[in-house]
Amino acid sequence: MIYFLDIMLIALTASLINNFVLYYFVGICPFVGVSRKVEMAFGMGCAVTFVISIAALISWTITTMVLIPGAPLSSFIAGFFLPEEAAGKIDLTVLSYIVYIFAIASSVQFVEMYVRKFFPLLYRSFGVFLPLITTNCAILFACLTIMSHIVGVDNPADAWDIGRSMTLAFFGGVGFTIAIVIMSGIREELEICDIPEPFQGAAITLIIGGILALAFMGFTGVDSGIRDTIMPAPTEQNLTMAPLQAEILAQSDF
Amino acid sequence: MADQPTAFERFVQGILPENPVYRQLLGLCPTLAVSNGMKPALTMACSVAFVLLCANVVTSLIRNLLKPHLRIVVFTLTIATFVTIADRFLAAYLFQMSKTLGPYIPLIIVNCLIICRCEVCASKQSVFTAASDALGQALGFGLALSSIATVREIFGTGMFFGIRLLPSAWPDWVIMVLPPGAFITLGLLLGLVNWIGIVKSRRSVND
Amino acid sequence: MESSIKNTNLFQAWLVLLLATVFGTTLAGVQTKLGPVIEANKINETMEKIPTLTLGEAQAEKMTEQGNALVIEPRLIEISKNGIKKFYTVYDAYYKDGTRAGFVAKASGQGYADKIELLLGLDADASTITGLFILDQKETPGLGNKVIEKHWRDQFLNQSSDKGLVVVKGKSEGSHEIGAVSGATISSKSVTGIVNRTIADIKHQLILPPVSENDKIKENK
Repeated sequence: MIYFLDIMLIALTASLINNFVLYYFVGICPFVGVSRKVEMAFGMGCAVTFVISIAALISWTITTMVLIPGAPLSSFIAGFFLPEEAAGKIDLTVLSYIVYIFAIASSVQFVEMYVRKFFPLLYRSFGVFLPLITTNCAILFACLTIMSHIVGVDNPADAWDIGRSMTLAFFGGVGFTIAIVIMSGIREELEICDIPEPFQGAAITLIIGGILALAFMGFTGVDSGIRDTIMPAPTEQNLTMAPLQAEILAQSDF
Repeated sequence: MADQPTAFERFVQGILPENPVYRQLLGLCPTLAVSNGMKPALTMACSVAFVLLCANVVTSLIRNLLKPHLRIVVFTLTIATFVTIADRFLAAYLFQMSKTLGPYIPLIIVNCLIICRCEVCASKQSVFTAASDALGQALGFGLALSSIATVREIFGTGMFFGIRLLPSAWPDWVIMVLPPGAFITLGLLLGLVNWIGIVKSRRSVND
Repeated sequence: MESSIKNTNLFQAWLVLLLATVFGTTLAGVQTKLGPVIEANKINETMEKIPTLTLGEAQAEKMTEQGNALVIEPRLIEISKNGIKKFYTVYDAYYKDGTRAGFVAKASGQGYADKIELLLGLDADASTITGLFILDQKETPGLGNKVIEKHWRDQFLNQSSDKGLVVVKGKSEGSHEIGAVSGATISSKSVTGIVNRTIADIKHQLILPPVSENDKIKENK
């Protein structure tokens, strides 16, 4: 139940509340560049969602299996050269950025080849965007967020598992798709508008993006509201100390 | 290489005529994300300058050994290495700042600006030209970043570099330091720069 | 001139491999040099707050002037509530002579915008709150993030921990009342909620005598 709630809130947060484009500003380049037509925007969104999920899967696996201290693979290999104590402490997180960017680049390559070979229809709809995605910040950002929830936590029980990580990545991609499709819908209408010359193109797109971001700010707090409804915070009554605890307190004073 | 710009031209071009943010629309992610105050904006600009300079110099040094189909791999490897170094240095000596900037420092890796400069300039020209190009572009990037940060910090908090500038009666426009403020400020400034460009070109036509 | 060599696959791979080796060595060097500094930064961020949080600002400064320092020992407290395991990092602060100065607990919870992470200081018998510090938050600038300001946090000082704290609008009057930041009731409630939950979860674990705690940790291992 708690796990399900957690997954649901991560999905909600990634797609709407802290939208990748409108809150974290990642993936602005395609947001400005490929948002002229709704079909193109949707194709781009699908491609990003697809790649982001695969990249998250790869980077979660690499992070937990190789990079973090005490990871199974790195300590197994280091076990041949080092005493067991030291092998368990091998920390390769310094390499994480390099590993992620290459994981993304190679997964984009593989996805492109695979989709072109086996799903020609799909390839026709978003294949052209695939090579562009390598330098899309959103993908690397998802990998980094997942890493920060594995490496940066105080106790191992809080570290994200594969389910949470994949949810974040997939719904981050969905949020990107939502933002870019809304944007392209507005821009199609803008074609027939009389925009002052200096603002045509990127400038008006950014200003509309600002208004969209303003609208998406309305989602803030929805997650804490849902959490409070499902799992109410302790109230004053159940906070009052149980008699047993009071006894212990009295003893220790003594 | 007779038609390639000289080192000085490269340097000057980077600052305004080919400004990475306002003219080429490169590196918008960090521009929007860290421009809510001058301090993070300048730290970001310095990190980008460091990475850009190192990547350009290294690329330029090995440009004769590069094979076309491997060049992107080499660029990415170089950039990712220097970004990691910059990130470690920030975490070691400016810990609070590195916490504020968070994931946007590693995101320099996918900043189109750097890979674009490696491709356009450093892989074709000498080390000196590449270095001055990097400095020019970095200066232009820093200029753009600080112009946005100035507007956002002054209107959003009434402060500049953390020092109170506007009277305390100023109702802080909180929206300016929030995400929408970033989009709108950059949009308006971009429009302003375009407008100046249009007015200038009209004047020169009339002359 | 060297085009015949350049065209072999081996040469191309060599360049990339050579670069990878050089960069790898550089990174290893950087990490060996800076890794300990970064680790120290992370720990110091919490550690340097502990004297102020347990003793109060004035006394902590006095201690530093006299050249005394608290002995700080971190430990992990495991709570099992409704079948869910929760962990708290707790720092025990001792005076040089071994008497306990207080506790600092690291806790986190959902705020209005994102996770709020805070340090909560309690006195030696965990009956009074001696300090509160917000380590990390992403609340709305200008509204919710006022919870980091000192004069708001100071409302928690000297509140007794036997009853939950209540957030009231406007100025707080009686004890156990915290005045909400105007325009940010949810953020204020979040922080107060985290404080309440932390106290409820770990209070009875804190005040167990230190010896038995050590035994417990050994048993768990």
